[in-house]
Amino acid sequence: MKKFLALILALMMMLSLAACGEKAPAEEAPAEDAAADAPADEAPAEDAAEPAEDGKVYNVAYLVNGNLGDKSFFDSAMSGLKELEDAGRITLTVTEMGGLAEDQPKWLETLYEVSEDGSYDVIVCGTYQMPDYLKEVATAYPDQKYVIFDDNTYVGVNANVLNLTYKQNDLGYLMGIYAAAVTTDTGIENINEDAVIGFVGGVDSPVINDFLAGYIQGAQSINPDIKVDTRYTNDYVDTAIAKEYGLSMINDNKCDVIWGVAGNSGNGAAEAALEAGKAYFLGVDSDQELTFSPDLAAITLTSGLKNIGNSLVWVFDELDAGNEHWGTEVTLGLAEGGVGLVTDKNFEKYASDEVKTAIEAAEAGIKDGSIVVVSAMDDQDKVIEMRDAVRP
Amino acid sequence: MLDLIFSPDFFFAVLRITAPILFATLGAVVGEKAGVSNIGLEGTMMISALFGSLVSYWTGSWAAGLLVAVLIGILTSLLMGFFAFILKTDIILTGIAVNMIGSGGTLFLVKVITNITEGTALASTTSLITTANQIPSWNIPIIKDIPILGEILSGHCILTYIAFLMVFLTWVLLYKTPLGLNIRSVGENPNAASSVGVSVLKIKYIAIAFSGAMAGFGGAFMSMYYAMGWSLDMVAGRGFIALAAQAMGAGEPVGSMISALIFGTAQALSIKVSSKGIDSNLVTPIPYIVTIIGLVIFAVIVRRRVKRQHSAAALKESAK
Repeated sequence: MKKFLALILALMMMLSLAACGEKAPAEEAPAEDAAADAPADEAPAEDAAEPAEDGKVYNVAYLVNGNLGDKSFFDSAMSGLKELEDAGRITLTVTEMGGLAEDQPKWLETLYEVSEDGSYDVIVCGTYQMPDYLKEVATAYPDQKYVIFDDNTYVGVNANVLNLTYKQNDLGYLMGIYAAAVTTDTGIENINEDAVIGFVGGVDSPVINDFLAGYIQGAQSINPDIKVDTRYTNDYVDTAIAKEYGLSMINDNKCDVIWGVAGNSGNGAAEAALEAGKAYFLGVDSDQELTFSPDLAAITLTSGLKNIGNSLVWVFDELDAGNEHWGTEVTLGLAEGGVGLVTDKNFEKYASDEVKTAIEAAEAGIKDGSIVVVSAMDDQDKVIEMRDAVRP
Repeated sequence: MLDLIFSPDFFFAVLRITAPILFATLGAVVGEKAGVSNIGLEGTMMISALFGSLVSYWTGSWAAGLLVAVLIGILTSLLMGFFAFILKTDIILTGIAVNMIGSGGTLFLVKVITNITEGTALASTTSLITTANQIPSWNIPIIKDIPILGEILSGHCILTYIAFLMVFLTWVLLYKTPLGLNIRSVGENPNAASSVGVSVLKIKYIAIAFSGAMAGFGGAFMSMYYAMGWSLDMVAGRGFIALAAQAMGAGEPVGSMISALIFGTAQALSIKVSSKGIDSNLVTPIPYIVTIIGLVIFAVIVRRRVKRQHSAAALKESAK
């Protein structure tokens, strides 16, 4: 009996091995074929495009590694592409690939399919989850152009991929202005008169400190004596510890406006503000007033946005202008509309006219270059110096 | 600096930080007493945290959420027990598996159940949870009016009180009830226990279920009071700290509570210290350094005591 069982098991293993062995080449073959075909497919398309240089209508595929309706990056990208489509500048095909773990195999498959199709001028995708898939496919289809937003994992690895990233320090500057104005505005409920604002960062690193650099500089432009209480959670997942930091900032240093830039753990600062009942929260990346539950949204004054949509419009503006950025990373700031603030809802409610004017002036200043925002990406030591100088 | 530390606010934070660790510590204490090393506490807390907050959201009742969190904790650990006791897998490996499920598995479940995607940020259920779904705090009637003491002791989450109450109850369970005697004897010498008719298997199941229930409370504390809703890896090592606290407290309920409090104090201290602008990379490890120092001191004390006993015994021997 035992021998029989062992035999069956051995047979099953062999069969499964054989199955694997057969399957792999079969699956790879079309990809290779396609890679060979791709240039052939591409060539006529490019030829056709040459004469119609002016007002070329690009055929764009937007692959969503999730679902639209996320009130965040995917929707933002969609709004930009929709704008381009409505203006007759592109034809758009959107594929929602789903964001569940079981959908992930589909992402690579869809990328291959769309690239193999060859009829798209530009394929757009984004977020930190895509670079590995994109790298594989972009290598297989060197003539297909890709745009990936909010990621710079493999900049320059593929000459046909454009990485879009966003200037955190520009964003921080605007947030700093708003925070510094609100923190002394005792007309708002639960705001104390002390000029102390807070910043909860993930880790003490250039990217996070880049947000901070602008935040401090912006705040100082409104109030030179402003104090900024900076804490790092050293953790992107421990919401509870961020809440402890938040409570300490609120109770010990009288912070009443806290900007959370620490992934999930940053939300702990919002929870601290809600629990303490005497502070407000500023969100980051997407409009957190939309993604929070009503309690937390009520104390979220605004969010610093990465305007994915605007950045995509910018890409096509540049293409039309004859500027190609393939194979590079382009970091978009205020000037290109790549970052900005949420200006409706709570902003509308809490921001005084002076603040609105100050923010508009700052936007204009940054755009025309009269205001230069310090960046931690270039000079982190300077930012750390700034940070330590404004501690409460 | 000192005025920051010796404030009611600081001691309040100590109790709040300690509570979830204390739950898990008590789970570890009872488990170890029965000879069951439940290192899956971390993962169990994570799973309980998820279901607690989801049920609280669906039913609109935090009590239902808490109940489910505890039940899920018990179920998870019973499953662990089934693998370890019946299928004879290594309990440490089983615990590791539960911890992995607690991280990746909860992420998978939350995506399947709620359709929350992970496009731009790590997944969390924070968007669903309002304060009504959270476990409420409680002001102790008379104590709340006592100046400093009231500020420290009153106004905590109900679970914080339960955590410290459980220390006493666990002590009663272990030392004042027949079940406790059985648990201890199974841990000390299972053969001797079974020779007098104690069902070793049953006692081990009870012990691991108890530790699961405690992890369930701890998980509920994390997602239904400490943070609003579940988010990925939110327990962040508290289940492991609990194992250290259990070892530091020599496996006794009160001793383990003290070591959990030491960790809580160190954590609260590190947060206060950070307000003075000390480098975050130096501040964050404070609780862990304190834990290691505590373990070393504890080990030294135990060794000395054992040595003294040996030499005392040797003296007696030579005197004969």
